[in-house]
Amino acid sequence: MSSVSTAHSVVEPSRTSKRIAASIVIIYAVITMIPLLWIVLTSFKSPPDSISYPPKIVFQPTLEGYCNLFTTRTRQTPDYIASLGEPTSTCDEITRSRNMVIAGASNYWPRFQNSLVIAFGSTFLAVSLGTFAAYGFSRFKIPLAEDLLFFILSTRMMPPIAVAIPIYLMYRQLGLSDTALGMILLYTAVNVSLAVWLLKGFIDEIPREYEEAAMIDGYTRMQAFFKVVLPQATTGIAATAIFCLIFAWNEYAFAVLLTSGAAQTAPPFIPTIIGEGGQDWPAVAAGTTIFVVPILVFTILLRKQLLRGITFGAVRK
Amino acid sequence: MTDTSSTSLGEAVARAAPAPIASRIRGLSDRSMAWLFITPAIALLLAVNIFPLIWAIYLSFTNFRANRPNAALENVGLSNYSRVLNDPNTWQAMQTTAHFVFWTILLQTLIGFSLAYLIDRKFRGHAFWTTIILVPMMLSPAVVGNFWRFLYQPQIGLFNHIVSFLTGIPPSSFEMLGSVRLSPWAIIIVDTWMWTPYVMLICLAGLRSIPDYIYEAAEVDRASLWRQFWSITLPMALPFIMLAILFRGIENFKMFDMVTLLTGGGPGSTTEVASITLKREAFESWRTGRASAFAIILFVAVFGLANIYVKALNKVKQR
Amino acid sequence: MTVQRPAPAKPKRPFFIRRGPMENIATGLIGLGFLMLFQPFLLIFYTWSLVTLLAGTIMFIIVSKFPE
Repeated sequence: MSSVSTAHSVVEPSRTSKRIAASIVIIYAVITMIPLLWIVLTSFKSPPDSISYPPKIVFQPTLEGYCNLFTTRTRQTPDYIASLGEPTSTCDEITRSRNMVIAGASNYWPRFQNSLVIAFGSTFLAVSLGTFAAYGFSRFKIPLAEDLLFFILSTRMMPPIAVAIPIYLMYRQLGLSDTALGMILLYTAVNVSLAVWLLKGFIDEIPREYEEAAMIDGYTRMQAFFKVVLPQATTGIAATAIFCLIFAWNEYAFAVLLTSGAAQTAPPFIPTIIGEGGQDWPAVAAGTTIFVVPILVFTILLRKQLLRGITFGAVRK
Repeated sequence: MTDTSSTSLGEAVARAAPAPIASRIRGLSDRSMAWLFITPAIALLLAVNIFPLIWAIYLSFTNFRANRPNAALENVGLSNYSRVLNDPNTWQAMQTTAHFVFWTILLQTLIGFSLAYLIDRKFRGHAFWTTIILVPMMLSPAVVGNFWRFLYQPQIGLFNHIVSFLTGIPPSSFEMLGSVRLSPWAIIIVDTWMWTPYVMLICLAGLRSIPDYIYEAAEVDRASLWRQFWSITLPMALPFIMLAILFRGIENFKMFDMVTLLTGGGPGSTTEVASITLKREAFESWRTGRASAFAIILFVAVFGLANIYVKALNKVKQR
Repeated sequence: MTVQRPAPAKPKRPFFIRRGPMENIATGLIGLGFLMLFQPFLLIFYTWSLVTLLAGTIMFIIVSKFPE
């Protein structure tokens, strides 16, 4: 380091080092995206293209994967297909070109709906309970608060399979196995710990003076909570909700052990999509793409809060 | 939102809730108010997490089998624990887990910290590229495991073709998921792909928490960049690195979904990590008592680490 | 050599009832438990890993109540 090169602020890295850093990071980012891009590409391939050797980068895009994802099909004779009228949709046309007809809807959409119901239901509950508890921990002197908070966090760290054994027995007794309500309760319990920790961080940042002023003006504690604290904590609550939503959306271990049909979510369903003669990869890829897109949107929305989320609110940048 | 709620305070008070209810709620002592706020969450956790846990502890001392719920329940004392802890198969599963945990943490820390260090050079567009890099960690491990199974297909998979392009080995000459030697590494690669961003993000926070004046002082002392790295950057970012390592350790120790979908524990039992052994014991062999004992062992291990994790969390919080 | 050195400031309490050092010992015990759980060399270590982990965890919970 010569004194000449330190003419600029020492903390500001030199131009060359910036350029080198930028190129390495960009290369890494591109490599990291290849698997995802490949899945999106595969979802637009026809089944033969998806299993070609070597893999095809240039191909004729088709919606066959998406059609296969949402429908079940049966093989028919060409004569029978010719006897049918005009195809009613693109999917109909594609299916007929494979000598098949659409027999009905597949289970993907019901599973996707289950995912939506369970994710949103549990997020709503977890965030509501979490906001109250976080406010309690943030504003009141609670005996053994540290231990309670640790207890709350430790419930999230439990290995899912270890919890699943007694939950399985409990749900069997209560008739909650394979019900959306059972899954919502379970995910709420897992998410409430994250919600309490995250929201406590956010509420700690709201000055107490606001509510105290409101309470001097005659608000009750509850009114102060609803009319002063909640509006201030909107960003925090939204960020927490998205984190809870993503967890419930992505969860697999509980879902595969505790649901089998009626309440099954998308993650355990997607790997079971099978076509003729092995896995129907374009359909699997299509299912994955549709499942992953909301997460991509949320990641972009959340990018400023991600750090808080993954450290339970401890690191605030 | 904020402004309106504070300026209209006076009017709002005038319209406040009817006096009896208000005074009744105000009449509650702060202590009972506090419990009112936190009890619902605690109650839910007790019902859905702690009660099952206590049940599992109870079951771990019995010979209960979930597929024969009406069979006579016998208290077997510690024999479930002693069986699990003397069983070479579960011991093997622990070693498989250890191999997986060790290599994923090592790779993720090295790559994650290097990336964070580079991103901290604050080049133009670093925020955009950081967001791109963060995407994998937001995905569902199960879905990730499933689509990597496609990338790892020996004939048609992209991974084999990229390796073959880079090294010249024919793409169908190796099977990432089918071979005893490669399958543990197949899992390590996917986990590293997915979770390096996590380590990177926390390391980046650590690097950014180092105040500029320390570097300025080092510059005055003519400390070389190398010296600065070892005596300022690394020690000051260390609590953050430890935090990331501990959390990844806990998560990977109980890894289930990704491995299930990639290899299902196979070939044979080469990638059978602890959670998969537990699942087989509990939901395939239906030895619920014994599985519960194993579950408690895993739980104790995770609980111990969680204690240390929270300590590390508090250390980082003080910065 | 005969220069009188100022006596080092004495800690207020002996280390075994102070939080810091005892927490480190408990952390070490948990770490040891993990090594025993993970090592591929001796089954007997694996057998006793649970006891070590449990001891470390319980100790950690107790000593974290100690004053600094």
